[in-house]
Amino acid sequence: MPDARFDEPGLHIVGEVALGFPPPRQSYARVAYANTQPGTVTARWLTVRPDGRVVAYAGKVEYGQGIRSGLAVEVADELRVPLDAVEVVLGDTDAVPWDMGTFGSQSTARVGLQLRKAAATARQALLEMAADRLDLPAGELSAAGGIVSARDGASSVTYVDLLHGVSATRDVADDAPLTPPADFTQMGKAQPRVDALARVTGAAVYSQDVRVDGMLFAAVLRPPAHRAHLRSVDIAAAGRMPGVVRVVQEDDLVAVLADTDQHAEAALAAVRAEWDDAPPSSSLELPALLERSAHDPFVTQEQGSLDDGFREASGILEATYFIPYVSNAPMEPRAAVARWEGERLTVWAGTQRPFGIRTELAQRFGMPEEQVRVIAPEIGGGFGSKSPYPAAHEAARLARIAGRPVRVAYSRADDFQHATVRPAALITVKSGFTADGRIVAWQMDARHAGDRPFLGRRGSETPYDTPHVRVTTYTSDSPLATGSYRSLGGAANHFARECHIDEIAHAVGVDPVELRLRNLAHPRFRRVLERAAEAFGWSPAPAGSRRGHGVAVGLDVGSYVAECVELDVSGGEVRVRRVVGALDCGLVVNPEGALNQMEGSVVMGLGTALYEAVDFRNGRVLNAGFTRYRVPRAADAPRIETLLVGDPETPSTGAGEPGIVPIAAAIANGVFDATGQRIRELPLQRHLA
Amino acid sequence: MTTIEVNGRSYDAPEPGRNLLSFLRLDLGLTGTKYGCGEGLCGACTVLVDGQPLRSCQSTVGAVVGGAITTIEGLARAGELHPLQRAFIEEQAMQCGYCIPGFLVTAAALLARVRQPDEGQVREALALNICRCGTYQRIVRAVLAASRSGAEAPADA
Repeated sequence: MPDARFDEPGLHIVGEVALGFPPPRQSYARVAYANTQPGTVTARWLTVRPDGRVVAYAGKVEYGQGIRSGLAVEVADELRVPLDAVEVVLGDTDAVPWDMGTFGSQSTARVGLQLRKAAATARQALLEMAADRLDLPAGELSAAGGIVSARDGASSVTYVDLLHGVSATRDVADDAPLTPPADFTQMGKAQPRVDALARVTGAAVYSQDVRVDGMLFAAVLRPPAHRAHLRSVDIAAAGRMPGVVRVVQEDDLVAVLADTDQHAEAALAAVRAEWDDAPPSSSLELPALLERSAHDPFVTQEQGSLDDGFREASGILEATYFIPYVSNAPMEPRAAVARWEGERLTVWAGTQRPFGIRTELAQRFGMPEEQVRVIAPEIGGGFGSKSPYPAAHEAARLARIAGRPVRVAYSRADDFQHATVRPAALITVKSGFTADGRIVAWQMDARHAGDRPFLGRRGSETPYDTPHVRVTTYTSDSPLATGSYRSLGGAANHFARECHIDEIAHAVGVDPVELRLRNLAHPRFRRVLERAAEAFGWSPAPAGSRRGHGVAVGLDVGSYVAECVELDVSGGEVRVRRVVGALDCGLVVNPEGALNQMEGSVVMGLGTALYEAVDFRNGRVLNAGFTRYRVPRAADAPRIETLLVGDPETPSTGAGEPGIVPIAAAIANGVFDATGQRIRELPLQRHLA
Repeated sequence: MTTIEVNGRSYDAPEPGRNLLSFLRLDLGLTGTKYGCGEGLCGACTVLVDGQPLRSCQSTVGAVVGGAITTIEGLARAGELHPLQRAFIEEQAMQCGYCIPGFLVTAAALLARVRQPDEGQVREALALNICRCGTYQRIVRAVLAASRSGAEAPADA
């Protein structure tokens, strides 16, 4: 931990690491990855250097969500310094406070709040130092632009003057006076992205870009299918190939180490391997498998009595929705570089869990965590799937064996075949409603593939004011390895629910926005829906108006969202022209960041709605490349307008994920509105009549 | 010894079969050009050869010897950012940023050819580049803003 550096000059703010996090039992990381919570570890969160520069430390990683900028803005505003005086250090286990991982849209809500407290503590300390220096009561002083001034303007002193020769440490004050939203000068306002320059000049370093002296290039033998096991391998010919330094065969790990990437790949092709067949499976039979293998029912929501509800109903609808596997497919395929120096291991790995990977590596090699350093550099996307990071283990093992640093890099095909996919789901909804469109009974049975039941529970609860409800999630067998994806199962659950709501609207002949409003009392929900519909120019009409308008709402990570879409359907292609969204994520620290995340969520969700599905046979991905796995491109992207409608007094909730939860349903509802065809299977374009 | 010109500097050329992307990234350390798919389908590896965009992952050094290569590191001139780079910063046209060098280089070739493209031309020129973070709206806006900024792009970039 950073204690060793506390003799550096400057003002250091330290605090308990656990402060910023939920209790371990509820923690996602604990459930998902068996992360251990540190006991009471004190770590440095912030340093104000004698030259006035501010360094903030956070265990989060930057993988596109703009968190470095968001945290910098929070620190700068609380500490009353210009944004460019703040540097944020992320994701280096030797430098930053322990962190469970970057997921669940928690960075602004938790670490951001902790850093604001640290910055407010530092500000208070500087005000007290200034009070001594100027011989004035602290209450008569205020800080701005790195300068403490008397309110009468008669005297002032800079942070730099105050910190000359100072080396002091303060504890984060849990009751540090946070700046009220009305007094923000930087938070909540458009701010530049602090790491933009490195991204446009090519200077930003990602895992794929890490090069260290003496590094060997690895090509790792990987199974052709999920759950295919190696039966036999012959490495003799590979060892004779040009540039090969060593061929490694250790337990399940077979790899070629060579002087260049090309030599390693060519030699790997000379490795003769035989594989046992993976268990039979097929994407064509996936819906049937999900239904047949559903087990471990878990009721996520129950109220009233469904029997009573269906008796009260004048209409009843039942429908089943299918959501296939989709690939996260981040632009940067996984890569890692490992270097051993005696019994110290350093691994560069673009993972969302640098501390979790550190724990894993320490366990693997039977060494204390302090001897392992994991550095997450810039990460080229992940959307949830870079929490597990086998490449880090492979690189560390190979580097140990070779006695030299080793680089492991996935190809695009490796990334499609060996990274996790979003769980497929088969979801049945049975609803009962009155003639005027009040929903009185709601039964949802959601079967999600994979061995992590909590993925499928996310977003399964209906937010509508329905008296008789039972929502049950099930775990189904999965022929592919499933994992986290933006909003986990939230997007699948929302797709089923929000399509079904539209079907009710159509059944009773009520406008889809109006029907939702009749069943939604929550003021934050009503506001996002009303604001989105208004900005869109929604004019009421029963569903099936032939205009190609669709709407859906969502609730994810505590944030409320509504989206309206306008689209055309012709020649088997759906073109989404325009999306208007309203997001309430409470206090918005960094509006450009929140807008960018909404736009990205819409485009990513558009891909899942229209094009994307992982096809497989016997555990092998059949469309492991961008030729046959279509993702949205510039020509597919709609015009997106986003309204941020939250109250600044409401605590910040996530902005990175909510935008994806309603969009697939909004598009499916728009397709129904345009064509009259109700498609209950994604991706829609495969099922257009 | 055969040499190869990259960003105005001359380097000893490796064996002609060396993959151009690997040469630039792993041999020269010009890691701003990215590996995205290895199949020429995502545009992350785009460089300019004599001003023309080329998928470097699909090329060898031998195929471009004699041409002048420009990578993202060579887009700025004499410390002055290319108008596109300024516009991408201004519009915050990036999230993870991994695809951005490829978009910038592709767009630079467009602006060298068409000084004031319309939105359709921009989207068409960028159709072979993928941004998985979905920042297309900002990217298109940035390219249009750069084209309107009046600053003429250097002819070979």
